[in-house]
Parts: sequence; C-alpha cells; structure tokens
Amino acid sequence: MNMPADNTTDFSAPSMNEGIAHVVSVEGEIAWLVPEQTGSCGSCAASGSCGAKGIGTLASRLEYRRFKINNEANLFVGERVVIGIPDNALIKAAITAYAIPLATLLLAGALAQWRFGNDLATMAAMVIGLLVGLGFSRIGAGRLLMQGDIAPRFLRRARPGETCNQS
Amino acid sequence: MKEYVLLMVSAALVNNVILARFLGLCSFMGVTTRIDTAVGMGMATTFVITVSSMADWAVQTFLLEPYALGYLRTVTFILVIAAAVQFTEMTVKKVSPALFQMLGIYLPLITTNCAVLGVALLLVEGRMSFISSTLFAFASAIGYSLVMVIFAGLRERLALVDVPRLFAGPPIGFIVASLLALAFMGFSGMSTS
Repeated sequence: MNMPADNTTDFSAPSMNEGIAHVVSVEGEIAWLVPEQTGSCGSCAASGSCGAKGIGTLASRLEYRRFKINNEANLFVGERVVIGIPDNALIKAAITAYAIPLATLLLAGALAQWRFGNDLATMAAMVIGLLVGLGFSRIGAGRLLMQGDIAPRFLRRARPGETCNQS
Repeated sequence: MKEYVLLMVSAALVNNVILARFLGLCSFMGVTTRIDTAVGMGMATTFVITVSSMADWAVQTFLLEPYALGYLRTVTFILVIAAAVQFTEMTVKKVSPALFQMLGIYLPLITTNCAVLGVALLLVEGRMSFISSTLFAFASAIGYSLVMVIFAGLRERLALVDVPRLFAGPPIGFIVASLLALAFMGFSGMSTS
C-alpha cells in the first residue's frame, strides 16, 4: 500500500492538472469517485464541512458529478486520491462544448441576415444553427472521449491533509 | 458590415465589460488563477451571454414593450438568464456527460455573474436590431474572456514573483488589474477614419 517516495521529476511526462477525489464506491474493477473541488475559489477541502447540502447547492451537485476510473490501484471506499487530467483537456472540452455551437449559431444568423434581412428569420436560423452545432459538439465530445483526452486518471493516493491547492 | 465591426470592437475593447464597465469582477478575481480555468469560464460565459441576450431581446421586443411591462425588466431578465444557464447545463450534460463533469462546475457561477445581466440591460437600452444585439453580446463576452485570459497569464507569472508580503495575493492582483484597465483605456482613442 505504501507508495515509494518520488524525488525526481520526469519532464518528458505530459503535464497534468491535479485534483483530489474521494472514493465513494468500488464495483469490481471500477472505482467511483467524487471530486473534492467545489468551485474555482480554491476552497476545495472546505466542501466537507460547509454544511450546504440542500437542493441546488454546489455540495449537492457534487453528488451527481461522480465519475469512474479503473481500479488498478486497489482503492477502498473512503480513500482520498489524486487524479489528473492532461493540461489542455479543459481547453479542448470548452472548445467542443461551447465554441462549436456558438460558431454555427453566429454563422447561421449572419447568413440569414444577409439573405432575408429580417429579425424573425435570423432568430429562427440561429436556433437551427445552435442545434446543428450541438450535434457537432456531440460528435466532437465522443471523439475526445474515445482518444481518452478528457478522462481523469489515477495518479497517486493523497497525503494526509493534502488539498488540491498543495498537490 | 462596417457598423457591425465597429459595434463589436467597441463592445470587446473600448467598452470592455470588466475593465471599462467594471462588471463580472467576482469571477475576474476568482477564476483567473490558471489560464485553462479562465478559458473554461470565459467560453462558458460567452455561450451563456450570447444565448441569454437572444432570449432577452425576444422577451423585451415581444412581451415587455408591447404590454408596457418595462418595470419588470430586471426581474424578467434574471429569470431568463437563470433559464439559459439551466438550459446550457442540461444540454452539455445530455451532449456529453464527460464534458459536463469537466465544465459543469463553472455554470452555477455564471448565474450570479452581473456581467450577463449588465450586457442584457445595455443591449435593451441601445434599442438594437436582433443581429446587432446578438453581435454586441457576443463581442462583449469575447472581451470578457480576453481580459480573463490575459489576467490569468499575468497571475500565473505573479505567482512566481517575490512580492512583498503585504501585497501578496489579491492586493497585487488588483494593482495589476488597474494597470490593465489603464492599458485598455488606450483603445478609447481609436479612430475610424
């Protein structure tokens, strides 16, 4: 169970964004985790004691933000682990989820405005463009998932008291 | 065509949402510790501002103006923005649960982002056409994202600098933000001739 101390830095390894997660259940080869991070404020470790567990709160959102990883490290329920995603994964995901639908929305709107010059036609074209863009997003997201670019990976077990700001 | 370009440059740079209108300062200070989180927040906000401004324009034109309900504008727009954020959240979750796990955390922050409401109110005051108001909202959001990314880059460098103890953290961040605002004031001197 004890991990060997790592005193060297492998500069050839891909740079990762690290975060802390709790193991909430183990089903055979799969471990389900919940991220500790509650927001971008950096108060990740405070989530356990904030007491805000009501409907619509960030704490309640975490409950359905469970994700799974392969349990190759024999993780147990309740363990805190450090997980990582590649550095540019967030940017790729943001482009796929938001930039593609926005681009098609604006393109469809510009074409409709140029062709018809009417607010209602432009509005309808933008809605259609948005739906088409969401379709493209879905394809792009599937491709990213297949390549494993946005899947979180197990890095190591968290040290006692380690937070996502100190990892 | 020229008027659309000028409208967008004006919204993104000259009247920048953060540095000229001082809206969205909470996310400006809170989400700019890393460039990638700033990009994630910026793109999510751009999407929500654009979609909600389209809906706000429709509500204003087809509901509030014809029935003289202007006094309900702020409340209605807040409702529309919350609905737009919820729509975005549901859509991203449906399109890709994996993307939702990565990006979903930014969406609740947008609901309370005053920049979204500010842009919607500004475009109503401007009495613009639908395409103009959408481009205005999109360009304002691009300006917001641009400043977020620039400031995140500066803060990543600041984290490596030996700052006097009293100025470490947010104080030096605010000083840098004020210098950035001064730099953006230079855009107000641009001429179209």
